[in-house]
Amino acid sequence: MGLNPIEYRPWKGQRSEHVRRFLVIADSILRHSLRSKWFLAVLIIGFFLAFGLNIIFLSITPHESLTGEQMASLLNNGIFYIFIVILVSMICSDLLAEDMRSSSLVLYLSRALRPVGYVLGKFAGAFETLAIFALLPPIILAVSITATQSGSDYLSSAEVILETVLAGFLATVFLIPIGMMISSLTRRRTYAAVGTFMFVFVLGIVASIFSQFDPNWQLIDPGNVLFYSFDVIFGVSLPQDIDAWLLLGMALLFTIPPMALAYYQVLRKGVGK
Amino acid sequence: MAERSDTGASSPESIKQTAPFGKGNIVSEDLVVRYGHVTALDHFSVEVPKGVVGLLGPNGAGKSTFIKAVLGLLKPQQGKVTVEGLDSIQDRLSIRDRIGYMPEHDCLIESMTGVELVSYMGRIAGMSKDDSIPRSHEVLDFVGLTEQRYRPISTYSTGMKQRIKLAQAIVHDPSIIFLDEPTSGMDPQGREEMLELIGRIAASDKSILLSSHILHDVEKVCKKVVIISNGKAVTQGDIDALLAQGDERKRMVVRGQPEALRLFIVQLSKELEVSSVSEEFKQFTVVIVNPKGSSRIFELAQSSGVQIRSYLPERFTLEDVFIDAVKEVK
Repeated sequence: MGLNPIEYRPWKGQRSEHVRRFLVIADSILRHSLRSKWFLAVLIIGFFLAFGLNIIFLSITPHESLTGEQMASLLNNGIFYIFIVILVSMICSDLLAEDMRSSSLVLYLSRALRPVGYVLGKFAGAFETLAIFALLPPIILAVSITATQSGSDYLSSAEVILETVLAGFLATVFLIPIGMMISSLTRRRTYAAVGTFMFVFVLGIVASIFSQFDPNWQLIDPGNVLFYSFDVIFGVSLPQDIDAWLLLGMALLFTIPPMALAYYQVLRKGVGK
Repeated sequence: MAERSDTGASSPESIKQTAPFGKGNIVSEDLVVRYGHVTALDHFSVEVPKGVVGLLGPNGAGKSTFIKAVLGLLKPQQGKVTVEGLDSIQDRLSIRDRIGYMPEHDCLIESMTGVELVSYMGRIAGMSKDDSIPRSHEVLDFVGLTEQRYRPISTYSTGMKQRIKLAQAIVHDPSIIFLDEPTSGMDPQGREEMLELIGRIAASDKSILLSSHILHDVEKVCKKVVIISNGKAVTQGDIDALLAQGDERKRMVVRGQPEALRLFIVQLSKELEVSSVSEEFKQFTVVIVNPKGSSRIFELAQSSGVQIRSYLPERFTLEDVFIDAVKEVK
């Protein structure tokens, strides 16, 4: 290989603030995902099936305005949810598992980055990537329906667009903690991907079995929690036998403890335990 | 068959800590770190000055724990570490901006190319995108990775991986660099080149803490050394000073009748410190500590009827210093 006859040269540049460095990780995840052919293929197919046809069909169909009920029914859509689960499984598979396997976590944490900054960077990267499917298309759909409405009440349609932004945000954020948790528990990206998918799938089966005894058992399925949350956001009333507080509790249960566990794993590995 | 009888005369006391380094760049005071019931660092006090300093110790001695404590990755149960006057817990981010770390084990993101990884690590260390890319190419030129930098790291040889690890450790121009087994797994030429690189980096007023099991490497590039054993800093000082402590030691080969040789050794040990005696092919090799002149030894040899075949200074090697320092703690 040989060495070049050059001396070490110092660098005299300006460093960014510590709090902004997690964005570098987020940026890297987005770039990495967009270079994956598989990710792009799933993204395109998902967009076409969940939104493409609706955008075309609803734009050409005469309609007065955009309503909350309409957006809630469009997002309470099995195809949308299935593609979110698939994309979360793909994005989160190597989010932490790969760093755990390769021990590259030590490279991050030996720099001016706290474990919380590392986890935040990974979360933000997954969020940015998933938002391409779960946040932007619902907004495009809502805007295209509003743009082609025959009525003049644009204010109420704009309100629904804002609710759509909130619903899209929730759809993007909701399953990432589960994906990160599973990814932090294994060193193999395949296990992380399959584990995330199966976790959600099994909970769905359990919910469908036990909901015969009590409808609130439906809330053990993250998909149902997401759909009922859309109803709440769009002002659609929940079914009478669904407890709103339990819905909130389950939404928190599916997000906060998984994130805490992922953070704990990073903290633990960071000090070499 | 050679037989070595260690009299214990070259006790660790004779090679123990030399004069302290003076004002340290990294200072740990009475540091205690425990993992559950295991004490990894036990009242560990050390001062690491500027320059290239060797960090030696057997496996599990506490070297990595010390590095983690300096980086603020773990909170000590007792004591504190300061780096250039900054506290390792309160100012951990400022400290990490000043540190470059080359870990021993595999830690590279194998899906990235060499230049991507180095640039990415530069950006995480706070460099802008515009700065990190040219700087990455600069350090990759420096470590000797040419067109290989565009290949995924998964295709790299061990030597290339070591170079990339060094490149990512220096990309943000830290003032302190931790190198953990930098020559591990490298061929002799690669090893020489790595040591040459370390020397070049040190020449630009950096502090380098070099942890290695290859004592020859440490002796070659380090001016100072800290020896850790069982979580304690057992020896620290200038390598030259540590090795010079053996200047009074002499190695002598004597030949004669067995009875005469035994008599000579007995008489010798009455007057001088006999460090070791070994017998091979009817001649004895004796290591003594003799701060006085050699005339008395020759008189004893003449009166005992033995022949002195050679009488030479026995200098300590770093290995002697290391083994004795570690032995003391055990």
